[in-house]
Amino acid sequence: MEWANDGKTRGGVLAHLERLEIQVNRSRKNLEDLQRAQAVESALGTKIHKLRCLRDELRAEAKQRQARVKASTVNVEPDQTPEISEQEVAKRRKENVKAILQAYRFTGLSGKLTSRGVCVCISTAFEGNLLDSYFIDLVIQKPLRIHHHSIPVFIPLEELSAKYLQTNIQHFLFCLCEYLNAYAGRKYQADRLQSDFAAFLAGPLRRNSLCNLLSFTYKVEPRGQSFPFCARLLYKDLTTALPTDVTVTYQGTDALSSSWEEQRASHENLFFSKPLHQVFTSFARKGEKLDMSLVS
Amino acid sequence: MDAQLAEVRALEAEIAALRRACEEPRAAGEDSWRAQKSLREMYQSDSEGWASSKDLRSHLGHLESELRFLSTLTGISIRNYSMKTEDLTNTEKKEKSIMKVLQRHRLSGNCRMITFQLEFQILEIQNKESLSSVITDLNIIMEPTEYSELSEFVSRAEERRDLLMFFRSLHFFVEWCEYRKRTFEHFKEKYPAAVHLPEGAASSCMAVRSTCQPGFELVIVWRVQIDEEGKVLPKLDLLPKAPQQALKLDRNRVLETAPLSFRALLGTLGIEAALESLIKSLCTADYD
Repeated sequence: MEWANDGKTRGGVLAHLERLEIQVNRSRKNLEDLQRAQAVESALGTKIHKLRCLRDELRAEAKQRQARVKASTVNVEPDQTPEISEQEVAKRRKENVKAILQAYRFTGLSGKLTSRGVCVCISTAFEGNLLDSYFIDLVIQKPLRIHHHSIPVFIPLEELSAKYLQTNIQHFLFCLCEYLNAYAGRKYQADRLQSDFAAFLAGPLRRNSLCNLLSFTYKVEPRGQSFPFCARLLYKDLTTALPTDVTVTYQGTDALSSSWEEQRASHENLFFSKPLHQVFTSFARKGEKLDMSLVS
Repeated sequence: MDAQLAEVRALEAEIAALRRACEEPRAAGEDSWRAQKSLREMYQSDSEGWASSKDLRSHLGHLESELRFLSTLTGISIRNYSMKTEDLTNTEKKEKSIMKVLQRHRLSGNCRMITFQLEFQILEIQNKESLSSVITDLNIIMEPTEYSELSEFVSRAEERRDLLMFFRSLHFFVEWCEYRKRTFEHFKEKYPAAVHLPEGAASSCMAVRSTCQPGFELVIVWRVQIDEEGKVLPKLDLLPKAPQQALKLDRNRVLETAPLSFRALLGTLGIEAALESLIKSLCTADYD
């Protein structure tokens, strides 16, 4: 800024002071505006914060109400409703009966009445795993006869019906249930062996459709190169899921030492007493233990 | 600031909507109750309404007869059943295609003289390829516990979580117990002097005494056993009792070998015929 060095100097200084004053005033005004704006903003901010809290509270309350309404429509307490009509009682009893009819499948035998008689549904399971179900449609006449069914052909249905259908239908159904459950159990074991332990088998598992004759060549260690054992399992009793005849032969290239013989004999015992896939699970676990001991 | 003002307006609108939502259900409930009442009035006065309530009742009747039929067919009567479901599906992206549901079931009823109460859990897992259902827990409470053979069987079934095997074996067990009772009662009726049932017909033993030869007694113990696999089998044993003098005279050791011979007899003749021949042989003097 140049100071004019003339008689107008005084005016210059005054003018300058004036200018400064205007500047300060402007700044002050700006500052005040800014402060006012900031105050408004922070007030807005607080307001927003309060509104958000209120909204969250209301959201939670609305959710609670929804849940309560849902729960109350599911568990209607007859005692609390002032007037309960016969309709309601009948309706609820109907739902209860329907549910019980559904629940019969857990006993192994359930069914529906048909125009001809009854269609019985047989459910199967093995050690807690629920498996396939089969049906048999019976015509209630004298004599009782089978209209149609989904029982596999290798289950001795004709034999059982000839023996029991006319004289003791309950026994007939439970026997059928026994055969089907045993078959389902054997099949489950064979399937699990094939799918979960393929690495332990040399080649495919040889099995028949009734799953009561199995033969396979296997090894005990996942890492081993050779498959030293050959097993043949026969399930003569079609109502059980464990074999009646087990033959394990040693096929290894090493000479048959006592340790191999020991293993062979213990395997035979295992196959007799435990489900097939569980025997292999124990093989796998032993193998893991062995690995761990090598590492440590 | 404009953005803030906009947010304030949006929040105020949301709050107003939420306030309305919080008040609505009450009103809706009231409405539905009022509607229900009027429907009921309608049913009571309108003939068409009457017919539809009849339909409900006849449908219920049909269902109840189906239940009675099933109960007779299976020999198992389920009186109460309830189920609760819990969705365990993991909402993380990785496992979204796998649905998991845990079902909690409660079932109670009876199979002839045996009442049971079961609680079990089933885990259903549905992935792209298949649906698997596995029983993950099983609790069985049974009474009466006078059948001691059952308690071991029950714990085995619980361990294996084999619900179906439990019912199947229960059926066959009850069947055998009833057959045993009928057989004992039949022989008691046929040979009232010779046959004694010291613990009643529902028990596991039957005593055969000869009236003209007191001191001789054949006790037949008939147990119904359930093996490891749930198979129900009868097991009969013979316990002969004779006075000391008779034992001394028994040169052919008939009494000693009686239990074994009895087993052989069972194999050849079957239970009923074997028991009959046993009774007859002891009491030949009485019945000649």
